[in-house]
Order: sequence, then structure tokens, then C-alpha cells
Amino acid sequence: MAQTLLEPVAAGQTRFRMQGLSSDPRGIAVGRETLVALPSLDALVSFLGAYSDEASLDDLLPSMTLEQARRGGGGHATLVRCHSSDGYAVDRLARLATAARGALYTGGGATFVRWRDREAPFGYDLAEPLQPPRDELVVVDLDFVAHYTTTHRMDPVELIQRLELRAVPVPLGGISRDPELCGLKEMALLLAAPALAHRVLRYLWRLEVPMAGYYVRLAGDAQPSLLLRLRQPRSRVLDVLAGVPGLELLAPVSSRAAVEIGWRHPIQLASAQTCLPGEEMFLFRGTTGRVERLDGPPRFVDGRHLVESTVAGRLREIGQLRDAELEPLRVELRMRKATLAREPRAVVIGWDQVKLLRHLVYMLPPSALAAARLVPLDAGVVVLASAGALGRGASAAGLGAGVLLPLGQRLGEVAPGVLVPDGHELWPRVRPALLRQLLGLGPDDHALYLSPTADPIRVRPDQLRPLDAALIGRLTLDEPSLVTPEMPAVGAGVVRNQRLGRFALWGFGGAPAATPRPADDGEGGP
Amino acid sequence: MSRELASFVEDFVVPLLGGGDVWIGRPMRLRDRDEWARALGPRVAPQLSYWRLRRAQLLVANPVLEEPDADELALWLGLHNLLVFDHPDRGRVWTRATTWRKLEGVTRTLLTLPQPQAAAELLARHVTIGAFVELARAEIVVPTPTGEVRTAAPEPGPRKRLRGAVAGAREQTSSWWTASHAPETDRLVPDALRASPLTCLLRPLQAPPGWSPLHCAVLLRSRAFARAVCHAWASHKDWTRQGGAVMAALLPSLGGASLPAPLPVPGGQLALPGAVVPCDPADVAAIVGALVHLHLLKVLELDTRVGLALGSRDPGILSFLALPLLLPTLAPVMGLPMSMSTDTGPTAAVARRWTEYVDHLEELVPRSVVENLLSTLVPRIVKPP
Repeated sequence: MAQTLLEPVAAGQTRFRMQGLSSDPRGIAVGRETLVALPSLDALVSFLGAYSDEASLDDLLPSMTLEQARRGGGGHATLVRCHSSDGYAVDRLARLATAARGALYTGGGATFVRWRDREAPFGYDLAEPLQPPRDELVVVDLDFVAHYTTTHRMDPVELIQRLELRAVPVPLGGISRDPELCGLKEMALLLAAPALAHRVLRYLWRLEVPMAGYYVRLAGDAQPSLLLRLRQPRSRVLDVLAGVPGLELLAPVSSRAAVEIGWRHPIQLASAQTCLPGEEMFLFRGTTGRVERLDGPPRFVDGRHLVESTVAGRLREIGQLRDAELEPLRVELRMRKATLAREPRAVVIGWDQVKLLRHLVYMLPPSALAAARLVPLDAGVVVLASAGALGRGASAAGLGAGVLLPLGQRLGEVAPGVLVPDGHELWPRVRPALLRQLLGLGPDDHALYLSPTADPIRVRPDQLRPLDAALIGRLTLDEPSLVTPEMPAVGAGVVRNQRLGRFALWGFGGAPAATPRPADDGEGGP
Repeated sequence: MSRELASFVEDFVVPLLGGGDVWIGRPMRLRDRDEWARALGPRVAPQLSYWRLRRAQLLVANPVLEEPDADELALWLGLHNLLVFDHPDRGRVWTRATTWRKLEGVTRTLLTLPQPQAAAELLARHVTIGAFVELARAEIVVPTPTGEVRTAAPEPGPRKRLRGAVAGAREQTSSWWTASHAPETDRLVPDALRASPLTCLLRPLQAPPGWSPLHCAVLLRSRAFARAVCHAWASHKDWTRQGGAVMAALLPSLGGASLPAPLPVPGGQLALPGAVVPCDPADVAAIVGALVHLHLLKVLELDTRVGLALGSRDPGILSFLALPLLLPTLAPVMGLPMSMSTDTGPTAAVARRWTEYVDHLEELVPRSVVENLLSTLVPRIVKPP
């Protein structure tokens, strides 16, 4: 007859047959320790890798032991034991253990029972107390009892350091296609073979790549190699460096560990700081299959101290400038026709068309209407698309009023704040800042060439009027008439005490008085 | 018209209902009630009707109130006497302890009123008792080296100069309900609350023992009052405790089993009948419907994070949480809280949330509680064929 090995724990149960079980705040039976039985070492690596992706291995490592064990009925298993803090953490371990083809048990000492499942949401307890044999670990499941004997133990830290890297594909078009994917966008480490160190330095120095580095002596090498740290390296530089034999690009995964490009450590090293003891820096090299432990913390020296200067000539100050004016070079600024199309920044509308402008204002979008400025002149009304930015960033504000108004003569901008008729430009093409300087414009002034032959007009900022305010008449608001409530709102009463006379209870003790007391007398006599 | 009655209404009743200084003076006698009851009328105080109406409008928009009668006058007098026991000048009164006990008896007589039957009567009682529950108290706070000393403020009079002389003394108001009271006051407060079942229904956590929501069933059958009561419950953060208190008061007042009572055994001890309130199925359905509507309000507010710790399983709260699970049985009589439409639209989203909430309750509430209600509460509403 089949014997029941485990019994589901009931809600609110606090006493258990198995020693070491206790109920957590949710009522789940949790043991002092957790045991994960995994079929192989590969499954163990998968389990640790998955855990490090979700949570920090640093919480698990201090209490974790790894054991290779032989099963009583034949077979081997890899056992992971660690302290269990609460039901939520054990739930996560159970989920990851199942994903890694293992099983999770809870308990303490040498006896472990199956973790909770759908049939027993509060966990399991032993059906009968069990006495485990000496030097054996007993695991009790629903339908079997397994005995494990430990054959040897492994150091988890050493295991994680010795794990073989796994190859991952780099982007098809090279690292430059997606440096962020390779983890090189912000910083890259470069390990250069001794013979290539000077050439690499020269190349990077010529390209003005911000770098720092120092020489490290790798185990087994006669000469020191160069380890460089490149800040925000350009994509092209990374492509060149990645293709040179003898150079290895490494992506930093934590403050003291870096993994070669094209390879990945099975464990998320950023969440396993305790796996890298001491202050050394670890370089995980996939091509050579080695883990380099550098002596001491990395001490990078700025790149300019690493290169050798071979400049022979010296810079010389100019002695004296010639004061004579460059009379023969002086030319006149002219306006000429041009074929270059420019976005209209203003329009000159004749006074006879102002009536049309009043109708068209209704069609302007609010951003364009708010930015537009108006200058009334004798020749007509000039509508500027905007006044504040002086051309800088005007395109970001969207289409201006100059584009949207189909009236008048359009003006284009040849320099910030310098507007010329559409289809014209100023010749020669001097720098925009110099053009403003030559015209004598203030910081917020505009210069308007209303026609190709006329002289420019200076418009000061105080002469610009907002288009919307200039066109729309004044509005009058009606004053509201407030209605005050005649009676105050309902509130809570406040208990206040009048003076009680010495004879306030007169008449309560005996028979009722024949005549009523005076009304306002608190101290009425007998 | 008695001049004393007018001043009493002006100094005590009107400030009690509308706010302001509620003056407490010498205690009132039974004969005061008898004399003043004859003089009651609209001419006693013109403001009284206005403030009664304003108070009632805090609950419903168009309340129906009748003119104050002798019972309401007795309630006012009883409340006044109840507040006398907290008077700071009580030690000055020359009398014996038995006289104070007689005063307590007189006050209890004034506060003990017949259960109101009509909706207008229930509302009139709540107008007075609801204002009484919200009362504040003027206090004198005197800082001392060992901490602050608080005492009820006496009438400002000849002692005003003395009060100003105490360094740092200040006057402030605090809630009367939460302050400490004389033992007589503590004994009389349940009597005052028992006079107004509607106040107990709105504040079930403050209701005295033995109270039953069935006294207010006539109100809950009115849509306006039911809405006001449900929203008053829903405005509290601990709405599950409110609903649990109502259920805890409702279940004992339903009486024993629906089977006919067995004949007494000759010579055996007779059991006294419990406080069973006669009611018809529509009354019980109205209360249960209001409580289910409270669940729906909380679902609409997205405030249904109900959690029960293992140690704090109050039977009343569990019964309250089990009510939506009875809907499949009650629906033929009471209907559903909303049309559970599966179409797209706003009602579909609410219906989905309601279904999720009921599923959550099904996991939370033990099955035994539901079975218990199915055998005790449901037969009171759904008569077996």
C-alpha cells in the first residue's frame, strides 16, 4: 500500500512535524535553508546566470555552498544550499530552479521537503518524523525519498571566475553600427600587445581621442601590455581597432571587470561584486580563453603623458602688426539677384492690402500668431515671423507668418536680423556676424532692405508690435455681481458654560416646587 | 409663550443646529418639558425652522420636516442636561450626590423616546443628535512645567482678568466627542444615540450596543436617503469597518431561526426574547442593497484594496465582504448592482472591475461565512417557494 510521505500545510498552521520549519507572515512553511538540486554543472551555470539577471548574487553568495553529490539509487546531482530569508525570495529561487531543470526543497540540517506548489499553497510538512542517516542528505518529495552523499564541494567564487565565456555575435556591419549594443558607447577598454602599444598611442593621439592608460604585465608575458581607457570613442575608431590583430576591445561590465567584445560572461557580473574579491581588476578575454587579474586597482594615467613629443620647431609670437589701412582691399556691399531659395521671414504688405490681412489673421495658427511682429512703415506694413530669436531656431517654432501670408513682397534672411527681398542676396557673402557689425546693428535690431535699390531700414525692438495685439480691438469685460449668502453656513456648535449658581440643583432633591422659579435666576433660593 | 423657552432655544438649540456658542446653564426639569411643550410653535424662534431645514439638507436636498413636538423638545432638554455633567462649576453646586443621581435619572427619562417610525421623525431626530455628535468644546489650555493642563472654559465674567494673569493660558476648541467626560455623561451618551437610529446608521462605529439598522429600513427604501447613507459610509477610509459594524448590528436583530419557536418545557427556565425588530423582507433587502452598493462605490473609486490579516478576522467585516458573493442568490429579488454588459464601453470596464473584485472576495472570504449567510440572511429576503 502506498505510503503518504508529505502532507500539505493548512492555513494558519504553526506547528510542524519537521524540525526547522516555521511559518512566514503569509503562513507559508519555510525552512532555515533552501536546497536546489540540479542535474548537471551546466544547469547550475544557467541557474546562477538567470538569478544574477533578476537579483543580486551578492545576497546569495555569503551563505551559498555548492556540492557535487551522489544519489543513493545511483546518479549524481549538483546541490546548491543557501539560507532562506522569506517566502518571496524562495519563490523566486523555485521559479529559477525549475527553469534550469532543477527542483527546490526547503528545510534545515539534513532533511528537506518539497516547496509549495498549486496543490499545497502553504507548503508541505512530513507525514511522519524522519531520522536522516549520518553524513547523508535526505530530500522528501511527494512520491520519493532521495538520499544524497556529498562527494566534493566547490567554491562558488572560484567557479564563477573560471567559467568559460560564451561567444555572442557582433553587429553585422561592425561595432560602429551599434556601439551601445556592445556596451562601448560611453567607455571602452583597449588591451594592446606590447609591440603595438606605441603605434596605437600615436594613432589615437592624432585623432584626439580622449584616453588614459597604463602598462600592465600579464601573467606569462615578458613585456608589459598597454591597457587604454577610451571615453566616448568614435565609431570609426572602434571599427579600426577591432580589426587589428593584437588589439582587444573590452567592454566594462562593472567597476572592476571587463569582458572582451564578442563574448559574454555567463553570470551578470554587475550583480556579483563579491565574486571578484580584493581590489584587482579582472579582464575576461574570450579569444585567448584567459582571465587576467591585474595587480591592484586600475591606475590610469592621462593619455598626453603616455605619448612622446617629437616636435622640433618652436612657436614664435608675431612681433608687430602693420598699422597701415588695407585701402586697396576695401569693397562695397552690393545686392544682387540670387537663385538660392530661402524661407520667407517677413512680408511687406501695402496699405491697400491691410484689409485682406485682417481676414487672413484668422487662419494663422496660434504659435505663428503669437510669434509674429508688425512694423507699420510708410511703404506698408512689415510682418515679421518672429522677433526674439533673430533667426536662430526659428525653424523649430514651425511655419512663421511670413510663409503663411500670401500677400505683399516677401523678405528672406541673409544674416540674423538682416532681411532682403526674396530672390536677392548681399554680395560678397561676408560672415553673418560681420554683416551685422558692418551695418551697425544692436543686439536685437533688425535691418530691412525693402527693395533692391533702397537703403536698409533699422528697426529697433521697441518699434516691433505684436501682430495679434495690434490687429484686435480692445475687449471690455463685464463686472460680475457676487451674491453673498444672507445666513452663515451650517457649522459645529461650541459648548460654552454659563456660571452655575450654588443652588442650581434646587428642587431636584425633593418634591417639585409648587410655583415655577423665576426665569433668569441661576441661584434661586428655596 | 414662555420667555425661558425662547431664550433656551436661542442660546442652546439654534447654536447647536447652526453653529456658534452653545450655552450650558442650570439643568432642566421634567416640568419644564411639560410647560414648554404647550408653548411650542413657529413663533418660539423664527430661526429654528430655518436651521432645522439647513441641517436636514446636509443629508438630502428636499427634506420633509414636521414642526418640533414634545419628543424633540425632550431631546433638546436631555442633551442640555447631559452637557451639564461636564460643567466646570459642578463642584460649586451645593447639593448631595443623590441629587446628581436624580438628575441623571431625569436626563435619561428625557432622552428615552419611542422608536421613530416615520421618515420625517427619523430625520428630525438625526438633525438634533447629528449636531450633538459634531459638537466642539471651548477649552482653556494652561502650560505647566509638567505639561499642558486642559479644562473646559468657564463663562467669561469677573474671572476674565484672572485668566489673563495666568502666563501663557490660551483658549482653543476641540472635538467634544473625543474629550474625556464625567462618568454620568459617558453613561448617558448611548441613550442619546439610541434616540436617533439614523445617526447610528450614518456612524455605525459610534452606535450603542443593541442598535439595529432595521429601525432605518424605511429610509433606505427611499432612493435619496439610501444614496446619502451609502456616500456617508464610502467617505470613510475604513469603509470595511463601517460596513462590518452595520452587518454586526443587523444579524443579531434578525431573530432566531425561521422555524417556529419550540414550546417551553414545563418547569424549565424560560429564555427572554432578544431584541428582535419586526421587519418584512423588503426592509432587509434595502439594508443589504445599500451595503452592496457601498462595494460598488468603492469599485468605481478604484479603492478596493481589501486585505485581511489572519489575526484580525472580524465576523461583521467578513459578513460584509461576503455580501457580493450572495448576489447570484439574491438577484431574483434585489436585482444586480449594475447591468453586467460585456459590450465595449465604460460600463463594460466597470463590469470587468466588479467581476475581478468579486473573484478577489471569493478568495478572501472563507466559504463558511458565505454558507452561514445563505442559511440565515438570504431566507429573510428570498422566500423559499
